[in-house]
Amino acid sequence: MSSTQTDPYLADAVSGEPGSSRRRRDRYAYQNGAIVLGIAAVIVTALVGIQIGTSGATFGHVLGTFYAKITATPPTERAALQIQNIIWELRVPRIALAILGGAALAIAGTLFQGLLRNPLVSPYTLGIAPAAAFGASLAIVVFGATAGSANIPLVIGALLFSFLNTALVLSLASARNLNATTLILVGIALSQLFGALTACIQYFAQDEVLAAIVRWTWGSVNNSAWYQVLVMFALLALTLPYIRFRSGALNAIAFAGDDSAKSLGVAVSRVRLESIAIAATLTAVTIAFTGIIGFVGLVAPHIARLVVGPNHRFLITFSAIIGALLLVVSDAVGRLVISPGVIPVGIIDALVGAPIFLYLILTRQKAIE
Amino acid sequence: MTLAIDSLVVGYGKRTVVKGATLRVGKGELVGLLGSNGSGKSTLIKTIAGINRHSAGTITWDGTTDLAGLPRRELAKLVAYVPQSISLSFGLDIKEAVLLGRTPYFGTRPSERDWQHVEQAIRLLGLNELGDRAVTELSGGQGQRVLIARALAQNPKILLLDEPTSALDIRYQWQTLTIARQVTRKNDVAAVIAIHDLNQAARFCDRVIFLNDGEIIAEGRPADVYSPELIKTVYGVEVELSTHKGFVQIHPAADHDEPQRPGHLAAVHTSSVGESRLQAQG
Repeated sequence: MSSTQTDPYLADAVSGEPGSSRRRRDRYAYQNGAIVLGIAAVIVTALVGIQIGTSGATFGHVLGTFYAKITATPPTERAALQIQNIIWELRVPRIALAILGGAALAIAGTLFQGLLRNPLVSPYTLGIAPAAAFGASLAIVVFGATAGSANIPLVIGALLFSFLNTALVLSLASARNLNATTLILVGIALSQLFGALTACIQYFAQDEVLAAIVRWTWGSVNNSAWYQVLVMFALLALTLPYIRFRSGALNAIAFAGDDSAKSLGVAVSRVRLESIAIAATLTAVTIAFTGIIGFVGLVAPHIARLVVGPNHRFLITFSAIIGALLLVVSDAVGRLVISPGVIPVGIIDALVGAPIFLYLILTRQKAIE
Repeated sequence: MTLAIDSLVVGYGKRTVVKGATLRVGKGELVGLLGSNGSGKSTLIKTIAGINRHSAGTITWDGTTDLAGLPRRELAKLVAYVPQSISLSFGLDIKEAVLLGRTPYFGTRPSERDWQHVEQAIRLLGLNELGDRAVTELSGGQGQRVLIARALAQNPKILLLDEPTSALDIRYQWQTLTIARQVTRKNDVAAVIAIHDLNQAARFCDRVIFLNDGEIIAEGRPADVYSPELIKTVYGVEVELSTHKGFVQIHPAADHDEPQRPGHLAAVHTSSVGESRLQAQG
C-alpha cells in the first residue's frame, strides 16, 4: 500500500499552513547551522589544545606539522623536527582520542537514553564501566600492565570484560524480551557484581598494583597511541551511518514507547538490540583506551537537546560534537591547571561537567525533561 | 471494505487471553469493545495492531489482505493505534510528535507530503492553536488529541483506540469520543475502541462487542444488546436500563448502592454525556 493511494486527510486540505514550511526550513537551517558551528568549535579548540604544553609549540608549528605530514617534507632543522615529533606523536593522538572518545561516549549516552527512554541513564548504566574496570584490574595484576598507557593486555582485559558484560545483558534482553526498566535493573546488578570483584582484587593487591588500578579508573588520554585513534575513527565511521539511518526508529522508540513504536512500523526489539550493541561497543572501546571517563555520556546529550531539540536526526551528531568539545576542553584545562603536571581528563570532565549539569537542571528543567 | 477477524486466539505464555474471537468492522463504523478489566480488550486491539502475535485465527482487511502477513511498515500504513496516554519521556513539540505517525513512510528525512499530512491532522484535531508547545506541557485531553492526530497522520484504513479516555475527565472524555466518531465517519475508517463507560459507548459507538474472559459473548447495537443479565454476567453488578433521547443508559439498580451510601446519595449518570446529577435515594 503506498501513500499515493486514497488520501482522505489531504482531500480537502490546503497545501500546508501559510509560512509553516518556511518556519520548518528556518528550523532545519538553525539545526544544521548549530552542527557546522559546533564542528568549527571542535577544530579551533583542538588546534589550541595541541599547542598547550611545555615544548613551546606555536600555532605556526602546528600548521607546519600538518603541512609537513601531508606533503611528506620533514623539517631539516633538529629543533623544529623535535617539536614536530612532539606534536605529531604525542599531542595530535591525545587530542584526536579526546575528540573521538568524547564523541563516542556522547553518542552512546544519547542512544542509551533514547532506547531505555530514561534521561538519567549513561553509557555506563548497563554495567560496562565496572566490567571494564575489572578486566583492566585483572590485566594489571596478571601482566603488570601500566595504567593509562596503550598497553595491549590492559586494553584487551578491559575490552574483553566489557563485551562479556554486554553479551550477558543482550542475551538476557533477547531471550527474556526484557523491557527498558528491567534492562536498567540488570545493569545495576552487573555493576554491583563487577564492582565487588574489582574491590576483591584491590583488597588483596600490593600498593603499586592498587595505585595502577586506581590511576586507570580516573580516565585519561595521556600516552594515547595512533592505533587507538585509528580504531576509534574506524568504529565511528562504521557505526554513524547506521545510527543516522535508524534515527526515525529511535525517535519512535524514545518518544512513543515500545507498543506505539511497533504500531508505527518499527521492529523495536531488533533496533534496540542492534543499537545497544553499537552503543556498548563504542563505550567499551573508549573505556579500554582511556579508562573510565564519566559524565560526558550523561551530560552531552542533555546539552545537545537544549540546542537542537530531541529529534535524533540532529541530536546524535550534535551530542557527538558536545562530547568531543567537553573532553578536549577538559583535557586542556587538566594540562594547564598544575602545568607541567597533568590532571587526568576524567577528573576534570566531572569537575567541569557537574556544575554545567547542575546549572541546566536548575534553570532549564523543563527542556531537560 | 471490512476488517474481518476470525477465530482469533492470543495468549501470554500458557495463559490464553483471547479465545477464538470473531468479529467484523465495516468502514465508517465505530465499534466499542467492552468488558471488565482483564477480559482481553487491550490484547485484542494490540493483536490487530500487530503489537501482539496471535497463535491461531486470521485478521484480514478487504477480504484479501492478511494483516499478520504484511511487513511491519506496510501494516503501519494500514492500521493506526492510539494508546491510553502520551509518552512524556522527552519534550518533543506537537508537530514532531504528530510527525511520528509518518514513520512508516519516510527513512531519515520527512518529505513535504509527510508534513502536509501532519499539518492536516493537527488542524483536524484543533491543535494548531497550541503552537509549538512541547507535549510535556499539554493537559491530558490535549495529549490525547496529539495521539489521535499522530494516528491520523498515518493515513490509516483501520483505527484502534485502546481506552483513550481512561485517564481523562468527563469534558475530555466527551471531546475525545466526539473526535473519534467524527474521524471514523469523515475519513471512512474502520474503528475499534476499547472503553469502560457503557453509557458513553452507547452514545458514541455504532455497535458494541462484549468480551468476557477472552470470549465474545454479545455483539450488536447498544440498544439491542444491553440487558441487566448481560451486565451482571460481564461485570457482576445489578443494573437497570432506561432510554434518553434515543440512547440506552445504564444505572445502578435501585437497591445496589443503598448499603454503601449512608447519606442516601448516589451519583447517577444522566443520559446526557458530560452531565451528572446527584439523585437522592430513599
